[in-house]
Amino acid sequence: MNQQLFGYRRENGKVGIRNHVIILPVDDISNAACEAVAKIIPGTLALPHAYGRLQYGEDLALHFRTMIGTGCNPNVAAVVVIGIEENWTKIIADGIAATGKPVASFSIEGFGDLEIIRRASWKAKEFVQWASELRREPIELKDLTVSIKCGESDTTTGLGSCPTVSQAVDRLVDAGATVFFGETSELTGGEHLIADRMATPQLREQFLDMYQAYVGIIKSQGVDLLGSQPTQGNIAGGLSTIEEKALGNIAKTGTKTVIGLLKPAEMPQNGAGLYFMDSSSAAAECVTLMAAGGAVVHFFPTGQGNIVGNPIEPVIKVTANPKTAASMSEHIDVDVKGLLSREINLTQAGDMLMDYMCRVVNGRMTCAEALGHREFSMTKLYPSA
Amino acid sequence: MHKFLIHHKGDHVGVAVQDIAAGETVIGVFMDDESTIEVRAKNAVPLGHKIAIAPLEPSKSVLKYGIPIGYSLTALEVGDYVHTHNIKTARW
Repeated sequence: MNQQLFGYRRENGKVGIRNHVIILPVDDISNAACEAVAKIIPGTLALPHAYGRLQYGEDLALHFRTMIGTGCNPNVAAVVVIGIEENWTKIIADGIAATGKPVASFSIEGFGDLEIIRRASWKAKEFVQWASELRREPIELKDLTVSIKCGESDTTTGLGSCPTVSQAVDRLVDAGATVFFGETSELTGGEHLIADRMATPQLREQFLDMYQAYVGIIKSQGVDLLGSQPTQGNIAGGLSTIEEKALGNIAKTGTKTVIGLLKPAEMPQNGAGLYFMDSSSAAAECVTLMAAGGAVVHFFPTGQGNIVGNPIEPVIKVTANPKTAASMSEHIDVDVKGLLSREINLTQAGDMLMDYMCRVVNGRMTCAEALGHREFSMTKLYPSA
Repeated sequence: MHKFLIHHKGDHVGVAVQDIAAGETVIGVFMDDESTIEVRAKNAVPLGHKIAIAPLEPSKSVLKYGIPIGYSLTALEVGDYVHTHNIKTARW
């Protein structure tokens, strides 16, 4: 890995690897206006989603954190925020503006869609032209925040693609980068392994509380996850139990000490290193939360072939399953099936992934980007009022 | 050429890295020390699915990665296909 890396250094010093101008709806009913602006001004990206009305308490806090975090992500150059009313729209726009990046906000009440689309399009045009003159500059690995999460796992994930990601995680942390992992319920059976890697006894206790709280929510529904965890796809791929799935999942987290715990979509405050983010294990939700936490590139090991992408964070797919590598090749960025046939070793697989990541940092589109996968999925904690 | 891999010495199961036919005698490699084991498959085991490499009584912890991944619902014999029909999570 001798490539010089180039990225976009933002106003607050954070480094991005993409240069998006996003049109961000505060709520579901503002999607139409955002999508209209993105149609009128090529080069902008609307991020429609399903929520944002009558949420309250921690669920509302998570909504704001996800919206603000998405706008703050260093892969985003500038943001147009559109909401139905002024107050929540302003909360989100102000939260993003704290980064110093250009933000404009519009509320639809009292004006209607057509007038707001007109006004927002003028601003979007200005932002897109401004962003088009930003230039990549030399950056280092330590400037990157990387997220990891696997999906449609099978036994080949634990044998090949997750240990490959593990190699990259250790190298990135050694280089001074920041890495997030999460998937709280998918640690079941190996939660003690993660607890043992917490930096302090207090952190260990907080982590176990976080884990028990998540499992407690599941149990409070009066059901278990038999049939959901592992998923039907996992079972078809040979995984028999949640413990087996968890141990494969954990195989991607490297060997480093966990220096901090993050709420969903929370940005790290303790400097560089490895963090655990309390999160769903559903692919699009998890990547959305991690991007909102500031991750600029994602490693996604898959066995049976998950196809997820994210609108602002490039997702790199890694598989060791030779059938998936052949039958779904358009989705696979890094093919490490040679680990199963033992034609390559883990160090070589780690080299392949790091080399590919560097190309993606420097601008190569991932398979998910080229195929237009832009899943933006908000996590909802409980029903709206 | 090996047809399955075992994560850890002492595990009860290995993972097929190619489709294995019923009755086939296949070689497995232990990933922690590169040693090999030969097993006659009693059932077909598709790529990614598990084959028993050690006998196990019912209701015992099944080890993979050197860690329990659940417990046996029936007795397991060497060469058995191991999946949801004969092992179960200990968690739910």
